Amino acid sequence: MRLSITREKLQEGLGAVAATIPNKTTLPVLSNILLRAQGARLEMSGTDLDISVSVGVDAEVEQAGAITVPARKISDIARELESAPVHLVADGDQIELSCGKSRFKLFGLPEGEFPSFPEVDFSESWKVTAGTLQELIGHTAFAASTEESRPILNGVLWQLRSDHCTMVATNGHRLARMTFPLEEVDAPEADLIVPPKALQQVERLFEADEEVEVARSENHLAFRSATRVVYTRLIEGPYPNYEQVIPSDNDKQAVGSTGALEKAIRRMAVVASDQTHRVRLSFSEGTLGFRVQTPDLGEAEDEVSVDYQGETLEIGFNANYLLEVLRYMPDEDVRIEFRAPERAATFRPAGGEPDYLCLVMPLRLLD
Amino acid sequence: MTRRIHILPDRVANQIAAGEVVERPASVVKELVENALDAASQRIEVSLRGGGKTEIRVADDGSGMEREDALLALDRHATSKIREAEDLHRVSSFGFRGEALPSIAAVSRFELETAPAAGGVGTRIRVRSGRVGSVDDAARRPGTTVTVRALFGDLPARAKFLRSASGETRACSEAVLLLALANLPVAFRLESNGRVLLDLPSAGSLRARVADLWGEESAAELLEVDRSTGEIRVGGLIQRPEAAGRGTSRRYLFVNGRPFRSAALHRMVDEAYRTTVPGQVRPAFLLYLSVEPREVDVNVHPAKAEVRFRDRPAVEAALRSAVRVGLGGLESAAPAKPEGAGTAGVAAPARPAAASAVRERGPGGDAGAADASHRSHDRPSPSQLALFVPGGARTGEDRSAAGEEAPGAPAVRRRPLLWQLHDRYILASVRDGLLLIDQHSAHERVLFEEIMRRFEKGRGASQRLLFPVTLRLGPDEYAAVEELAGLLRQTGFEIEPFGDRTVIIHAGPQPHPGFDAEGCFRAMIDELTHGSPLVDSARNQHERIAKSLACKGAIKAGQPLTFDEMAELVDRLFATELPGHDVHGRPTILRLTLEELERRFGRT
Repeated sequence: MRLSITREKLQEGLGAVAATIPNKTTLPVLSNILLRAQGARLEMSGTDLDISVSVGVDAEVEQAGAITVPARKISDIARELESAPVHLVADGDQIELSCGKSRFKLFGLPEGEFPSFPEVDFSESWKVTAGTLQELIGHTAFAASTEESRPILNGVLWQLRSDHCTMVATNGHRLARMTFPLEEVDAPEADLIVPPKALQQVERLFEADEEVEVARSENHLAFRSATRVVYTRLIEGPYPNYEQVIPSDNDKQAVGSTGALEKAIRRMAVVASDQTHRVRLSFSEGTLGFRVQTPDLGEAEDEVSVDYQGETLEIGFNANYLLEVLRYMPDEDVRIEFRAPERAATFRPAGGEPDYLCLVMPLRLLD
Repeated sequence: MTRRIHILPDRVANQIAAGEVVERPASVVKELVENALDAASQRIEVSLRGGGKTEIRVADDGSGMEREDALLALDRHATSKIREAEDLHRVSSFGFRGEALPSIAAVSRFELETAPAAGGVGTRIRVRSGRVGSVDDAARRPGTTVTVRALFGDLPARAKFLRSASGETRACSEAVLLLALANLPVAFRLESNGRVLLDLPSAGSLRARVADLWGEESAAELLEVDRSTGEIRVGGLIQRPEAAGRGTSRRYLFVNGRPFRSAALHRMVDEAYRTTVPGQVRPAFLLYLSVEPREVDVNVHPAKAEVRFRDRPAVEAALRSAVRVGLGGLESAAPAKPEGAGTAGVAAPARPAAASAVRERGPGGDAGAADASHRSHDRPSPSQLALFVPGGARTGEDRSAAGEEAPGAPAVRRRPLLWQLHDRYILASVRDGLLLIDQHSAHERVLFEEIMRRFEKGRGASQRLLFPVTLRLGPDEYAAVEELAGLLRQTGFEIEPFGDRTVIIHAGPQPHPGFDAEGCFRAMIDELTHGSPLVDSARNQHERIAKSLACKGAIKAGQPLTFDEMAELVDRLFATELPGHDVHGRPTILRLTLEELERRFGRT
C-alpha cells in the first residue's frame, strides 16, 4: 500500500471512525483501524464487533493494499501533523507515515486479522435522507432503556412501512415516538430493533442532505451513503405492543409554552427529591401549577399560564422525564393530554407538526 | 430456763452486716479504693497477696484523716459524707453508706494508717475482728493506707465461699479497672504477689486510659460518642462496627462516674448497632451517662452494681441516639488496611467536613455551599438533572462514547475526585485521605433508610409502568404477597391479584433508572417467603421488607456509574444515619487516611 493524502482528509476519516473503537478489548485488532487503499480512495474502518463504521476519503493511491494500525496512535499523529500532504507506505505489518520533515513508523497487524463486515444485500433497500434519520433518532433514542433485564427495550424500534417510517423508544416509564413520510421504497415492510449506539453513529456520520440507503440481512442492518457505511447488529425479539398503551381516550388537554414549562420544572427540580425527582402538576382553568415537597429539604411552587379549560386535576411525574420530553419537543408550544392521576399523559407539538408524541407515566403519590 | 433470744452485740452485728458490703476481696478493694477517691487522691496503689484473701493493701495520697476522725470512721454508720437523711438523695461520692470500714474491720485483721494532708501526726489503728487493738503515732506522708489481712479468717463459713486466689485476683482487678475507667485523672497501680497487673498513669482522656489498659490498637478501634438528649448526656467510646466481634467484648456503663450493670441498657446499645454488625456480635463500649443525681437511685444494691433510673425510657433513648450518632460518623467506617497491620490513631474529622470535601470541588467552585447535598441541581445544565440517568448522553447505551460529546462531560473530567473502580467501588478523595465505597452496599444503606422512612411517614411515590408486569407465583409466594400487599404498596409496588396465583404489577418504586421492577419483585418475594439470613435478622415485618428490597433493589456491583450518579450516591449515603454500614452488617466504606498512607510509605 502506498498513497498520498492531505492531512485534513486523513484526520477527517480517522475522526469519523475513532468513536467506534472500543476502549477496552480483549481482541487486540479491535484497537486498530483498518486502512484500505483502492481506486482513488483511502477507506478507514473500525468496529467493536456490534457496530462497524467505514469511511472513505479521497487519496492519491499509487499502490492498493491494506493494513491495520493502532487507532489512538495514528489519530494522535494525524492531529499533530503540519498541514501538508501525508505519505503512507505499508510494508508487511509496518506502516511508514511522513509529512514534511516528520517521519513515523508504526507497527500494525495484518489486514486478515480484522473482522470482516457483515454481508448485507443492498438490492432491497429503503432510501431515507440523513436529515430525516437525524430527526427521528434525535427525538426518540433518548427514551430507550438502559436497564439490562429487558434487552428489547434497550433498542429503538424502527418501523418501516410503505409510505412512512416510525421510530419508537421507551424504558417502560416514558416513551417517544416520531413518524416521517417516506417516498421511495423498494423493500418490504419491516420492524427493526436497533441499538441506540449505532443510531448515534448514523446521526453523527451522515450529512443532513445525503441520501442514505438502508438494507438488512438476517441479523444486521446497514446504512450506506456514497462515502460511509455503518453496520450494526439488530436486537432480536418482538417489541412490546406500544400502540396499545398509548391512550386514545385522554379527554383533557392543556397547551403551553414548551420553554416556560421547561424552565419552571427545572426550577422545581432543584428541590425535588434526589430519588424520585417527583413534581406535582396541577391543572386548573388557565394555569398549570407545579409543586414539590421533599422531606428534610423543603418545598417549592411555581405556576405557568396554559390554555386549559377543564376540572382541576393533579398528577405527579418524575421531573427528569418531563424535562427530557420538553427538551426534545420540536415546537414552541406543547399540547399535553391526560385523563386521570394514574393514567399516562401525552405530549405533542401544539402545531401538529412533525408527527411526534411523548408519553410519560405518572408517579403515583403515596400520602 | 435459758433465754432464747439474745441481743447481738455490735461486733456480731457488724460481722453480719459486713456480708452485705463485703462478700469477697474484690468488694473490699472496691470500698477502699472508693474511699481513697473520695479523699481526692491523685494516685492509688493496690496490692494483693493470695488473691486478697491473705492481704489487701490500698494506699493513697489523699487528704488523710485526723486521729479522731480515723477512730470515728471505724464506727459503724459513721460517715463524713452524710449528715441528714435527705442528703441521701444528693450524694455523688462513693462510699456514702459509711459502713465500709467497720464492716471490713469486723471480718479481718485490719490496719489503718493515715496522716492528714494539712500536716500533723499520723495515726496507726489496728483492729482485730472488730475490736480496736491499738492506736499509735505513725510517721508517714499525707494520705491513707489500709491493710486488710486474713479476710474472713474468723468466719470459716464465709471464707469457704471464696474462690481460688486467681479467681479473686481477677475480680479485684476488674474492680480496680472499673474505678480506673471512672476516674481518669487518678493514677492507679495494682500488684498481685509482687507482680504488676495494672500500672495506669493519670490519663488526659478516656482514649488514653484505654490505650494504657488494652493497648493502642484497642483504643484506635473506638469511636467518640458525646451527645446530650434533654438533661441526659452520654459520652464515651464505642467500638467501630467492623472491629466488633474480634476478641473480648468490653462493655462498661457508668452513671455520674459510677460503674453499673444493666442488661437492659446493654441491649439498647446492641439495638443501636443494629444493621451495622452481624446479628450475634456484641460490640464493645465504654459509655458514661450524666444525669441529674435525683434522677438515679444508686442505692438499690448494696454493692451499688445496679442502679435505678426514674425515667428509664428517656435514658434508653438518649443512649441509643448517642450510639447511633457515633456510628453515623465517617470515622465509623472500616479502615482500609490489611488485617492485623499496625494502627494509626483514629483521627476524628467530622463527617460533614469529609462529605463536603467530596462535594466542594464542583465546577461552580462555590465550596461550602450550605446544603451541598442538593447543589447538584443548582447547575444550569439540564443534563445535571438527570442524576442516575446517564448525564448528557442521549441514550446512555454507550456512556463512555456518548460522553465524548455530551455537554456535561468536560465538567466531569474537571472533577476527578470520584472514580469508579471496576464498576464496583467508588473511590472518593476526601480531606484526610481516601474513601473506598462499595457501590452496592452504599446504595443498600441509602434504600434501607429511605424505605423505613416511607413506612414511618407513609410518604413516597410509585412509578406507573407503561407495560404492567404479569407474574405467576408459587402458592406460598402468592400467599406471602397477599399478606404483605399493604406494606408492599407502601414501598411503591402496586399489585393487583389476577387469580390463579397470578399478580399484575402496575407500578413500582424507582430506586435508580436501571431498576428492574420485575426481577427485584421476584427476588424479594422469594426471599420474604423462604427466608434468608438477611431478612431473618430483621426485627419486624417492616424491616424485613426494607432489608430485602434494599438488597434486591440497590444498584449491583458491575453497574457503570456516571460521575453525577456517583456524586449523588455518595451524597445520599452521607445523608443516612449510618453511612459506614450496609444492611448485612458489612462495611460500606473503607477509609485510608493520609496518615496511614504516610506511615505505609515510610514517611513518618
